[in-house]
Amino acid sequence: MTAAVASLLVGLVLGYLGQRSRMCFVGGLRDFLLVRDTALLKGLAAFGLTAWIAFPLARLAAGSAPGAPTGTDAITLLVTIAGGFGVGYVSTLANGCPLRQHVLAAQGVTSSLTYLAGFFAGALIFHVWVAPSLFRLLP
Amino acid sequence: MTDVSVPVGRAPSGPPGEPDPPSRFALRRSAAASAKAEGFAPQAEGQTRPRSGMRVTAVHMGVVAGVLAVAAEALFDVRPPEAYGVCMACHGRDLLNWTINAVAATDLPVAPASLVYPLLTTVGVFLGAVAAARRHGEFRWVMPDHPAKTFLYGALVMTCALVAGGCAIRLTLRTAAGEPLGAAGFGAMAAGIVLGTWWLRWRASR
Repeated sequence: MTAAVASLLVGLVLGYLGQRSRMCFVGGLRDFLLVRDTALLKGLAAFGLTAWIAFPLARLAAGSAPGAPTGTDAITLLVTIAGGFGVGYVSTLANGCPLRQHVLAAQGVTSSLTYLAGFFAGALIFHVWVAPSLFRLLP
Repeated sequence: MTDVSVPVGRAPSGPPGEPDPPSRFALRRSAAASAKAEGFAPQAEGQTRPRSGMRVTAVHMGVVAGVLAVAAEALFDVRPPEAYGVCMACHGRDLLNWTINAVAATDLPVAPASLVYPLLTTVGVFLGAVAAARRHGEFRWVMPDHPAKTFLYGALVMTCALVAGGCAIRLTLRTAAGEPLGAAGFGAMAAGIVLGTWWLRWRASR
């Protein structure tokens, strides 16, 4: 329950700020490469740096052991790299990361609403078809 | 770049002198308060501040998102898995699968954090953006072309994100948490963006 309410509030804040700042976690690199505009890239860097500083602080405050990075096998690594590449490539073609698409859809851009429909259909496609085939690959 | 939104700044908000309705005022107050709580006060509070509020830059958004993502995980039990504070793809998947499981008694997988109640980040982002767009007069229906193509893009991004274990946000978050696998995914995502941008430029130059 706590997590659900907290995630709703976090989402509300991020949605509001995301609409005002037009933040996009994919658009930063794209804008820099196309027109040397660093506004969104700075936002991405700020996000990464803030989280990088905040994670150890949170672990310190919680007093728990750091979430030890676990070792991984080659197939998981390859699959992650392929998935990450797909996220970057297709998001660039789709003109925005998932967060940006949610914000655009909320602003009344119907193509982003279509994108969201595909987005949730993609989750079903993954669990019904992609994940079972991937699990067969794993040792 | 090809965004349809208008420049941020001074959207008209009612005739001058007319006080805001209470709900709007409360919303603005809370936004300013949350901004302050994250360590940056609006510059020149009370001086030449336009009616539409302070200008929110991507850096502000990034800092707030970083703090909230870590806080959600560390303080409000948005885990396991690790570095799960904010993710548009995984949280959306959790919500969808949880709802289908509840309605149709299926057994679709959800993350442990979403077992009892689903994470509502995607709903929150949507509603927050609706509120911001409405409040600043930026909500309007825009109907660009190619619905089939955007549907396909959405499905592909979600599938790839679930394969990689995170959308653009969570890959960044996992990298920041020091997870090598997340860093590999983030690097691959950056390579994908570079290649995608080259492709866009190549197609535009023909």
